[in-house]
This record gives sequence, C-alpha cells and structure tokens, in this order.
Amino acid sequence: MRRLFSQLTVNQKLALAAFLLGLVAIWASPYRGGLVTLDAKEMTLAAARGADRVGVRDVADWIIQGRADFRLIDLRGDREFAEYHIDGAEQIAMAALPDAGLSPQEKIVLCSEDGVQAAQAWVLLWAKRFRGVYILDGGLARWKAQVLFPVLAANPTGEQAIENERLRAVSAYFHGMPQAGGAGPAVASLALPKIEVPAAPPAGQKKPAKKKEGC
Amino acid sequence: MTTKTSAAAWEPVPVKAEPAERELAAPYMNPYLAGVGLGLVLLAAFVVMGRGLGASGAFNRLVVFVLGGLAPEHAKASPFFASYLDGPPLKDWLVFEVLGVLAGAFISGLLARRVMVTVEKGPHASVGLRLAMAFAGGLLMAIGAALARGCTSGQALSGGALLNLGSWAFMLSVFAGAYALAYFVRREWR
Amino acid sequence: MIAPLFRYGLFGDETSLIVAFLIGIGFGFFLERAGFGSARKLVAQFYLTDLAVFKVMFTAIVTAMLGATYLAWMGLLDLSLVNLVPTYVVPQIAGGLVLGFGFVIGGYCPGTSMAAVATGRIDGVFFGLGLLAGSFVFGEVIRLPAVASFFTSTELGETTIPTYVNLPYGLVVFAVVLMALGGFWAAGLLERKAAACATR
Repeated sequence: MRRLFSQLTVNQKLALAAFLLGLVAIWASPYRGGLVTLDAKEMTLAAARGADRVGVRDVADWIIQGRADFRLIDLRGDREFAEYHIDGAEQIAMAALPDAGLSPQEKIVLCSEDGVQAAQAWVLLWAKRFRGVYILDGGLARWKAQVLFPVLAANPTGEQAIENERLRAVSAYFHGMPQAGGAGPAVASLALPKIEVPAAPPAGQKKPAKKKEGC
Repeated sequence: MTTKTSAAAWEPVPVKAEPAERELAAPYMNPYLAGVGLGLVLLAAFVVMGRGLGASGAFNRLVVFVLGGLAPEHAKASPFFASYLDGPPLKDWLVFEVLGVLAGAFISGLLARRVMVTVEKGPHASVGLRLAMAFAGGLLMAIGAALARGCTSGQALSGGALLNLGSWAFMLSVFAGAYALAYFVRREWR
Repeated sequence: MIAPLFRYGLFGDETSLIVAFLIGIGFGFFLERAGFGSARKLVAQFYLTDLAVFKVMFTAIVTAMLGATYLAWMGLLDLSLVNLVPTYVVPQIAGGLVLGFGFVIGGYCPGTSMAAVATGRIDGVFFGLGLLAGSFVFGEVIRLPAVASFFTSTELGETTIPTYVNLPYGLVVFAVVLMALGGFWAAGLLERKAAACATR
C-alpha cells in the first residue's frame, strides 16, 4: 500500500487528497449560525450584573448628539414600526433576527414594546458570542413615558426648572409633547408623533456607515 | 498508447521553450500547487477577515477618489460612485489588498527572473493594436465587474469557494463569454 | 467559535488594512507563480492550448471550499459571518459575459493585470487604465433609470447553491470536488492534444 502511494506523483496525491476530503465532507454540517450554545454561568453572571442595559434618556441623548457608533434595532412588527419608531431605528422583526446578518463587532441597542422581547433577543445574541448588545430598559413604553411625554414637575424649584427645560427640549426634538405635572391623560392614550418620512435615516449621520464590503 | 495518456492526464504537459526572452526565466509553478497556495490565501482571508479577495472594487474606488476631488457633487449623484463615498474612498481593505498584489507579484517575478518591461502579444499583432485592445478589454471588464458586483477574484474565486449561487452563475458566464469571443480576436494572440 | 477573527473584534479597522496588504502579497505571489502575469498564458485558456487558468482557479476554489467547510464543521469558523455577495441573477450573468469578452480582448482580469504591471507589462498598464475608464463609464451610465433598475433586478439575496437546490451542504461540496477533478482530467487530455497538434 505504501509503495503504491509513494509511486503516485504530486498531482495524483493532490487529486487523491481532494477526493477523500470531498467524500468525507458529504457528512459535513458546517456551522452557519444555526444552533447556538451558551455557558450558563457566564450568561447568568452577566445578566445579574445588569450592565447590559441602557436607559431611554441616554439613548435619546445619543441620538441628539448624532452618535453613529451604534445600531438601534426595533424588534416589533411592521404595523407597530410604521405607526411609530424611534428616529434612526432599524426594523428587524424578532423572527428574522437570526438571519439578519448582525455582526459581533457592532454595538447594538435592542428595543421592543416593553423590553421583554429585547431581553430574549439579548440572550440569543449573547449565545452567538455578541458582547456589545444592550437592552433599551423599559422598551418603547418607557420611551413614550419619559422621552416623548415626560411629566414636568409642577411648581418647579430652580433645579427642577432646569430639568424641566431639558425634558422639554428632548421631547421637542422627537416631536413629543411634555405633560404638565399632576393628573394628566394616561400616556397610552396620547397621540404619537406622525412619522412623515419612511424609515430611511438621514444620509451618513445617524446610522453607523455600514462599510461596503465589495470585491 | 491511449490508456497511458488518460492515466497521465493530470500530469504537467512539457511546455515548448519560448523564444530567447524566456531563457533566463524560471519555469512556472505547477498550476495545482499554485492553486493550493492561492486557495490557502483565500481561506486565510475567510478565517481572519470574514471576507474573500477582490480587485475591481479598488479600481472603482480610485475613480471615485479622483472624481470626489474634482467634482464631488457629480460623484454623489451617481448611486454607483456614491456607494463608495462612506468615508475616504482609498482607505479600504481592497485598496490595500491590491497594493499587496503588486508587491507579491513583483517579489515572485523577481525570484523567478520574470520581471521585464515588455508588451505581451501574439506574433501577428502590432504593439499598437495590442495596447488598444488591452485598454478596450479593461473598459469592458470594468463594466462587467460593476454589473456583476465583482470580478474573477472576488466573485468567481471567493464566491465560488463559498458556493454562492450568483458567483457560480457569473463564473460560467465569464467562461462562456470568453470562449464565444475567442475566435474573433484570435489575430491578437495567435 | 473563534473565526472570522475580525468579526469577533480581535483587531480593528486600521490593523485590517495591514492584514489586507499581507493577504494581497500572498495573492499576487501565487498569481505570478502560476504565470498569470502573462496575458498570453492567461488567454491560452480560451484557445484550449494551456488550461492553467481553469486548473489554478478551481484548485483554489476547492482548497478554500474544503478548508472553510471543515473549519466550520469543527465549529471553529462561523460561515454565516463570512461575507457573501448578494445574488442578482440577470445582471451577474450579463456582467459575466461582458467580463468574459473583456478578458479575451484585454488579456487580463483586474487582479492579474496588477501582477502584470508589477512584472513590467506595459499592456497591463493599458488594461488598468481601461479598467478605470470602464468604471467611470459605468458610474455615469447608471444614472439612467433603465440601467439602474436593470442593475438591481432579479435579486435573490445572499443565496448559496445548497440552499437554492435544497441539498445538504456537504453533498454539494463533494459534487464540486468531483466536477473539478473531472475537469482537471479533461484539461490534461486537451492540453496533450493541443501539444500533439502543435508539434505536427
């Protein structure tokens, strides 16, 4: 057998190697992002630390500052997204998340209606070894309550007045409506700002420029 | 005689020595070994970068770089050029890769004593014809590569290794197109 | 999963440019080793006298394909993070045909033209200038709505052959290997025939 093998030329050896490797490859199941595994200890420690959350006011500030180093992913469906979404948010429905082509390098903020689906998506992405993913704490419900329709302090003191001004400015930026202090209409019943322009973000500014990887 | 020929079909064909200019040059590497080398470089790109090789993109970027300097508004108005304007056009993976290609080819040529200033052409074509055809060929090729989103290195090699559907369709078309036209340009080469 | 290294943030954009240069060196080196800095050698493929283009290309494809498949099978490489150019059926077939025409007229492809320039071929330089001209022409022509809509027609997204024909990935890999080996055998026969004809 060995003599036979040594009698083969370089090319014939290459051909044989290719054939055998190809043959064995029939049973290959190459990893393409399907099944994920998760280290229980590592994940629960990270969840317990609670560091992977970001507040609605922080995100509002980032958007106003024009920060382009993160992607805001909205996990809700088409109807909810069309009705209202945060400026610069990209819609990737929960079910489409595994195939969405997200990259572990990116900084991602996940938002959903109340944050529950965002947390579920966070676990999935954690299992795929993404470490730059954050949950929008409280989801869009909290965004509406604290950014769009913040309750301004009635009879404000000096410091409170400054805070009121800040809340008013942030709310105005997102076309919201600040609420006066005291009993006001429930947040849920307030009219959401209309989205005039379809989801395309302003050129270059908001979205991190997805590097064109052509050839 | 026939059985000997078919069994040895994978063996290198003895190449007739070309005229004087090739006397100093070393023979080319076994194409299968060169292919394995190339394949390993491609695999390295997959493993290290998560992308394949390429070349046509770098030329597009050079054009966009020049246009961006001379007539930026005009450049941005074309969706094709605008797509390369996400940041400085020349600060790109492909551009640096192509610079590397120049360097690597030069090194190999130097080692094999194959570097010489010359015009590659067939025996019956004039230098002028050859250079004009080279330009025309490049022009067509750039258009084809832009349409296909890649050239032989990016689409055919890289996409081929990843079993990309479009890449294989592209690859077959390239061979089909080249074989179809070969007869009509034979004057240039034979 | 540890690869692709860049996707897992092992190094940044600046370092990736150095990686690009190094990988390019390897690319250019083997292109020239195979003789692809010479237009005559490249074009001989299309006159069926020297089938090195086919041999090198498909050996490279098979090598990288097997390597990627095995690494992904071993759970070392996440193939879903390797960039796949989206499929646009008709534009890519049309582009391929035009590219084929350009190949046999010009004698090079963009990568090999660089290998040619690096080894002193003046026709490689002219080819490169043609590439720049063609790129410019395309950028201008794409402003026409008809061209732009053709450019984005028949989109299938990021599709692989196994997904499209609904066969296991490994089976398609084996099929490609068989096809390549068969092709190499046929190429050898064709070359022998051409050499025999030439000496007659």
